Amino acid sequence: MTVKEIKARYKHAILGFLWIILNPLLQMLVIGFVFQFFLPVHVDNYFLFLFSGLLPWIFFSFTLSKCTPAIVYERSLIKKARFPREAIILSIVFSNVFHLLVSLALLLVVLLFVGKVSLLQLLLLPIAIIWITLLSSGLSLLATALNARFRDVNFFVQAVVPLWFYATPIVYTLDLIPQNLHALFYLNPMTAVIEAFRFALLGMPVTQVSLWLVSVAASLALCVLGWVVFQRESKYFDDWV
Amino acid sequence: MKKKQIAIELKNITKRYVLHHEKPTFSEQIIRRSKKEEFVALDDVSLIIYKGESVGIIGPNGAGKTTLLKIIAGIATPTSGFVSVHGRVVSLIDLEAGFNPELTGEENIYLNGLVIGMRRKEIEKVFKKIVAFADIGKFIDAPLYTYSQGMKLRLGFSVAVHANPDILILDEGMAVGDEEFRGKSGERIKQFFNEGKTILIAMHWQEYLEKSCSCLLYMRGGEIEKITKTSLGSKL
Repeated sequence: MTVKEIKARYKHAILGFLWIILNPLLQMLVIGFVFQFFLPVHVDNYFLFLFSGLLPWIFFSFTLSKCTPAIVYERSLIKKARFPREAIILSIVFSNVFHLLVSLALLLVVLLFVGKVSLLQLLLLPIAIIWITLLSSGLSLLATALNARFRDVNFFVQAVVPLWFYATPIVYTLDLIPQNLHALFYLNPMTAVIEAFRFALLGMPVTQVSLWLVSVAASLALCVLGWVVFQRESKYFDDWV
Repeated sequence: MKKKQIAIELKNITKRYVLHHEKPTFSEQIIRRSKKEEFVALDDVSLIIYKGESVGIIGPNGAGKTTLLKIIAGIATPTSGFVSVHGRVVSLIDLEAGFNPELTGEENIYLNGLVIGMRRKEIEKVFKKIVAFADIGKFIDAPLYTYSQGMKLRLGFSVAVHANPDILILDEGMAVGDEEFRGKSGERIKQFFNEGKTILIAMHWQEYLEKSCSCLLYMRGGEIEKITKTSLGSKL
């Protein structure tokens, strides 16, 4: 079903797979220019900094916004037969993981070229990828299960995702934020994930390790919650779509 | 005599639906807990169907036929009660269901097959037969939105019958496609009867059911009114 997802998405796009790269690249250019000139963040090589945060964010936001209405969109599959309903969600998640891997590989090539990669830190990259995958699928399962019952969840997600982008240190660093607000930022599990990616790719130190661990725990809890709610609700999807 | 094997067992099945007058929203749910209006589709239904039986379900619209079939197929979950089904169930409740209009016929066959529980290898094995039976021809690698209504129905039917089900569920949709295909699909269903598969059919055409089923199940208002054996059934 993952193959179906990838094929369906690019079926009619002439540029096909090029879009996997182009999409984050365009976003990076726009955001990069804006923040370079209007709100200078003091990081060396801002574009690499931005890109390493943007890639996991794009994965996360695409997955969440695609998955939330998925159960409703795939109502014809739901009404067809009995099969594990999470396959619909996981196929979207995994096709996006594939895209993430492709674009990360390209970023790595650039990083190797610039010559700033530490192998030891890179070992953390798979963990960061697994972490963000768990977090995204947990949240997606939760959102889509609720959306089957209450259709306005989709609107809510659409509204929240752009706001969430600015609440996550993607275009800026946490150093810019007053120290006493850091705990607040770590309530957002994406903060810690992005920092994990930055540490693995760029060797940027994690701002506060203890809060970082709390964030890991919160992500795991979200994942479990999403799974449990989805399992409970999925039996009744047919009644609601 | 060999003990008859149970294919489907239902115990005290009740299915209630919440009646939606409007689309439910999450914000509304939080603000006020509105009283839910409920609709009882199945009311305390118990039923045992043995392997090899063919059951015709008859009843007016809204009698709970489709709900009963959906529960047996595992698509819907009963509000209360116990269901146990042995073997692979393939349902033809909605023939077109499960197709993605953007994908080609070939991809849709795989998607549909996987959804009804076939393995990739299994589908590969019967793939040619599915295409031949559905008579799709050169359209097989064209996206599904270019298909005519009849072609889609034929494809859906073809995938379902080639899935080698132990239990086949049909809901009204027997009159599929043109004259020729109807003959072919009727033939195929007869073959299922002869193979001694368990079959459930819901339809209004009582004459046909009497001829081809071993027992008839009359439904009304969410309850089973009566079960009768046909002449075919008493021979078993």
